Amino acid sequence: MLLNLPLLPSAGGFPLRDSGTHAAGSPDVRLVETDAGPHLFVVGGSRVYGLTEDQADDFRAAMAAGGEAAARLLADAGLDGPPAIADEPPTEMPMRSLSLAVAQKCNLACTYCYAQEGDFGGEAKAMPPEVARAAVRRLLGECPPGSKANLAFLGGEPLLARVVLREATEFAAELARDRGVRLGFSITSNGTLVRPDDGDFFERYGFAVTISLDGLGDVHDRQRPYKGGAGSFARVVENVRPLLAQQRRMQVSARVTVTPQNLDLPQTLDGLIGMKFHSVGFSPMLASPTGRGQLQAGDLDAVLAGMIACGTAFERRVRAGERYPFTNVVTALREIHRGTHRPYPCGAGAGYFGVSADGRLSACHRFVGDAAGDMGDLVDGVDRGRQQKWLAERHVHRQEPCRSCWARYLCGGGCHHEVLARGRPACDYIRGWLDYCLGAYVRLLTARPDYFAAGNP
Amino acid sequence: MPSLDPKNLSARLRYRAAGNPPTTTPVSAIANCFPGLEFDFRNLWRRIFVGIILHEADNLVVGVEPGVSPTIAALAGKRLVAVNGVAITAAVTGPQVVGGPVTQLVPAAFLEWTNALADIVTRPGATVPCTFQDDDPATGGPVGPATVVDLTVRAILTEGAIARDAVQPGELTQSLCSPWQNDYRECGCYYWAASRPDYVNVDTTGVASTGHNWLQKDRDPAVKDYFASNLITYEELFRNWPGLLRFVVQGNDSE
Repeated sequence: MLLNLPLLPSAGGFPLRDSGTHAAGSPDVRLVETDAGPHLFVVGGSRVYGLTEDQADDFRAAMAAGGEAAARLLADAGLDGPPAIADEPPTEMPMRSLSLAVAQKCNLACTYCYAQEGDFGGEAKAMPPEVARAAVRRLLGECPPGSKANLAFLGGEPLLARVVLREATEFAAELARDRGVRLGFSITSNGTLVRPDDGDFFERYGFAVTISLDGLGDVHDRQRPYKGGAGSFARVVENVRPLLAQQRRMQVSARVTVTPQNLDLPQTLDGLIGMKFHSVGFSPMLASPTGRGQLQAGDLDAVLAGMIACGTAFERRVRAGERYPFTNVVTALREIHRGTHRPYPCGAGAGYFGVSADGRLSACHRFVGDAAGDMGDLVDGVDRGRQQKWLAERHVHRQEPCRSCWARYLCGGGCHHEVLARGRPACDYIRGWLDYCLGAYVRLLTARPDYFAAGNP
Repeated sequence: MPSLDPKNLSARLRYRAAGNPPTTTPVSAIANCFPGLEFDFRNLWRRIFVGIILHEADNLVVGVEPGVSPTIAALAGKRLVAVNGVAITAAVTGPQVVGGPVTQLVPAAFLEWTNALADIVTRPGATVPCTFQDDDPATGGPVGPATVVDLTVRAILTEGAIARDAVQPGELTQSLCSPWQNDYRECGCYYWAASRPDYVNVDTTGVASTGHNWLQKDRDPAVKDYFASNLITYEELFRNWPGLLRFVVQGNDSE
């Protein structure tokens, strides 16, 4: 859906505080011990195999003896072969997704915002309509007939630029139809400015609408107040309720930024799913510009426990044949089932770019106005030299110590923006979550194989 | 060690039977639109139209599906010559000998399915007019008046996988190459992919190239191209392929 979302809610890689935890294991394999019997996760190609108890004993012994013994055992089992991921970065990545910072300003004052209350630390800006049209032409000009592309509206708060947003959408839909491109639309909004006619518009164009909600009532209000200090929850819920009832083509989802102040994840998940959001996902706050709201090591243990509690509730519902749209686990199960393996956490700087109000391209929406992620401009297109350097430097094989981590091709090395700002403080959390998800995959594949039938999840 | 049990899609895709080298997995297989060694994708086209069964490499209707209407049942044995008004055969012209006059060589040669049906494969569920003629046993081409029947396009892929009703069990491995008998010898065009080179150590500095051809009886000296007289013949191949081909086992030619 939106922006080539990574498999994980947020950053990944390797922890500073426990760089030795998996030294006795193997960078090539991971044992998944579950009630459904022992399984093996083969890192290259993200492959999952069932093991007999004897085979599991062999792998346990080999992993205790170190990575080389495990690699030999893998070869004995006929599971070796050429590397699944090459060292070389991809070349000539075509642009397939853009996000427009149509309004580099916001009416909220969230404590942790990467855009620093919407203006990215500079002056508030609005994207002129001609810049939005140029972005659309740039995106669709690079898409051959039959290809898929996505246009996202972000900010700041994009509904502060409603006129530009709608005009760009209509222009893009028409151009995409002419060119035979299947174009999807998405928006991430704080929900405070949503009107009923926005619902009609989003429904007409089949938007993926993401509403930022950090909890229920006061929990949300503490993190996401208006600039004057008043809470925003009641207003958001009132505005969004008609859209939730209206969704057919559009999908209205909730995204929860997790900080030390809203750690009761099961309650939040249940509450938001109960409000009929199409799906609900969590994003741990790992790096905020001011440091406020950032999760610390102890907090991450609580986040992991909460995520696993939510995942366990999800498993229970799926076994009972019920829908329980907890985005993080749905995405993880889908990707594990496919065996997705990749050298990057997302498409940032590869097929996906952010566009600033003044028409500059950046590696993603978070790098708007940041020289570290500058990728050229709309007039001349992507700066291929900078892009190639970015893809070379950000490749997970170039990240230390990701290279020796078993989760590297599921995680991709962690959100570039967070890693460049704060390093990799959440690796234990990420491995813990992936370990849980691998177990959940094996359990559900055994108990409910129909869940993984074509087209589902 | 007995095989591990592949569970997720990437494990299943990389499944390798015990003893097989990595080149036998689908990702490295010779399994394209020509008869392959592992599976023959041309069979995907046999049931592209609901009701009739086509030959995988010809426009002949080899059968019909159970329970079809009399109109469709009557198509068995006919040749499909146009789909949606577009001919799927073409006249072939050219010289009979080098430098000779251009003449018509084949009046209605079949265009292979992948190209002939490219326009309709993306429209599963659509109904398209299909034009049939009788089969002329003398020429192997179409003959007689045209019959137009509307047929429904079947999805051959769903969610990136082969659709269950597009091929029956076993069909993907029908019509495979029989490389140790005939087909490898037949392919004199250096067709085989890089994973199975048929001509190696090639030196192109002279007028004609020299190198090692996989069919040469004596592997020591480099010979001139594959026309050299010391290549294994069809008959020799049929009579003694294991002895002549000397499969490489554990890095050495077998005796």
